[in-house]
Amino acid sequence: MTAVLPLLRYQTALLIRSHRWLPPLLLYGIFLVVGVQSGQPILDSLGYTAAGLLPVAAWLVRVCVVGDPPAARQIAAAATSPARVHLACVLTALLCSVALGTLATGIVAGISSPYSADHRVAVPIGEATAGGLLAAVTCALLGTAVGALCNWPLLRRPGWAMLATTLAALLTLVQRSSPAQAAVGDLVSGSHSGTVPMPIWPCLVAALACAAATAAACALSSRRS
Amino acid sequence: MGRRYGLRGPWVLSGIDLDVAAGTLVRIEGTNGTGKSTLLRLIAGIDQPTVGRVAGRPRTAYVPERFPAALPFTAADYLARMGQVHGHGRTRAVRGAGEWLERFGAAGHAHTPLAELSKGTSQKVAVVQALLADPQLLVLDEAWSGLDQRARAELDRAVAGRVAEGGTVVFVDHDPLRLAGAPDTVYRLRAGGLDRARPGQVAESGESAPPGLRVLIEAEGPPGADPPGGLPGAPTVQRAPDGAIRLTVPAAYSDALLRALLTAARPPWHIRTVTQAGALPTPREPRSQGVDDRP
Repeated sequence: MTAVLPLLRYQTALLIRSHRWLPPLLLYGIFLVVGVQSGQPILDSLGYTAAGLLPVAAWLVRVCVVGDPPAARQIAAAATSPARVHLACVLTALLCSVALGTLATGIVAGISSPYSADHRVAVPIGEATAGGLLAAVTCALLGTAVGALCNWPLLRRPGWAMLATTLAALLTLVQRSSPAQAAVGDLVSGSHSGTVPMPIWPCLVAALACAAATAAACALSSRRS
Repeated sequence: MGRRYGLRGPWVLSGIDLDVAAGTLVRIEGTNGTGKSTLLRLIAGIDQPTVGRVAGRPRTAYVPERFPAALPFTAADYLARMGQVHGHGRTRAVRGAGEWLERFGAAGHAHTPLAELSKGTSQKVAVVQALLADPQLLVLDEAWSGLDQRARAELDRAVAGRVAEGGTVVFVDHDPLRLAGAPDTVYRLRAGGLDRARPGQVAESGESAPPGLRVLIEAEGPPGADPPGGLPGAPTVQRAPDGAIRLTVPAAYSDALLRALLTAARPPWHIRTVTQAGALPTPREPRSQGVDDRP
C-alpha cells in the first residue's frame, strides 16, 4: 500500500488539475438541481442522489484512466508496476466519487423535509443520512466497477468504451438483482412507510464487485500496452 | 520469451533469452521494427511477455523515446512526485531534481509547466526523472534523441556513473557510436531471436567502426602497486617507464574512473594528467591540455 500512496497523490493532483472532472460534476449537479428540491421527503431525495452517482462514478474512472499520457504512465509503471499504476487510477476515481456522494448526501439531507412520502411519519435525519450515505457508497462502488470493466485495458477503443460505460451504468441501475437497485429501492420504499433502511448488504456486495472488477483490470494492465 | 499483441497478432518478439548481469552496460541493436522498444518495455516491466517471463527485476527507471507529456505540473513538481513514486522521501526527491536539472542545464525551466517545455527540455525532464531515482536498472529507449550536445555528454557520464556504482543500464540508440567501446555486452535483435555481438564491436554491416572518444589518465600509486581491480569502464592499463600507470577509458567513464582512483582506492592514487586520447584505442603522448591534479 505504501508503494501506491505516492501514485495516489500523483493521480489525485492530476485529476484535480486537469479539469476533466468538470463535465461529470456538472452533469451530476444539473441532475440534482432538476430532481431535488428543498422540502421534499428526505428518503426519496437521498435515493435519487445515490442513483445519479453511479454513472458519474463510472465516468470519473474513465477520466482517471485516460488522463495519464502513455509516456508518463510507462515511466510510473517501470518505477512500480502497471497494476499499481492502474490501481491508483481506479482508487483515485473511487475516492473522488465517494467524496462527491458524501457532499451531495449531506446537502440533500440538509434541505429535505424529514418526513415520509405522505408527510405523516417523521423520519430521523441522522439515520436517514446514514442510510443515504450507504446507498451513495454502494452506487459509487458499482459505478467504479463498471468504469474499470468498460475502459482501458479491457476496452481500448474510446467509442466502444464510452458506449459500454453508458449502457452498463444504466443497466446496473435498473437491473432488479443489482445492489444499486436494492439500495435505492430500499430508500424509496422506506420513504413510503416512514422507516429508514440500512443497505449494508448491498454495500458489501458492491464492494466485492468493485474489488473483483478492479483486480481484473489491474491484472490485464501489463498485457495491454 | 516472446511477445505478440492480440490473440492472433504477429509475434513482435520470439525466442528471446536474455540474462542481464548486475553492474553492466548493455546495448541492444537491431533494424527498425525488430522490436527493440518492445524488448526494452519487457525488461522495464511495463509490459509482460505473452510466453515466458521476466524474473528478478530490481528497482527500475525507464526513459521513453519521447516525453511530450501534457501534464498539469511544473517540471520540478513532476520530478518531486516521481521521486516519491520511485520510493524516495520528498526532501530527497526535491533536492535530486534540482541537482540533476542543473547538471542537464535545465534548472531555469524547473518552474515551467511541462506542457510549455520544448521537446529537448521535456526529454531532459524524462531523463532526470530516471536518474534521480538512483535505479538499480536503468532502461533507456533512445533517451539521447532530442537532447543537445552538452546534455548528451552529461547523460553518457551519468550512465557510466550508474554502471560504476553497480547499477545496470540497458539502452537502445540509433547512433552506433553512442558510448562506443563502453558496453559490456551488445545484443543484436533479429526476427526470431537475439544474437550476442562482441563487446565494443559495432555490428553495422560487419564493419568495425572506430571507437569513440577516449581519455587517458596517468596516475601514480604506491611504488610498484598494480591499479585496483574492477575499475569503472574496464580501462586498458599501460605502465610508463617511471612507474606511473596509464589508464585509457571511454570518455564517458573518465569521471567515474577518477572518482574511483581518488576516493575508492586505498590508499588513494595520485592523478598526474588527464588527457583526451582521441579515437584511437591505444593512448598517444599526452598533449598540452593535460590537467594537473596537484601542483
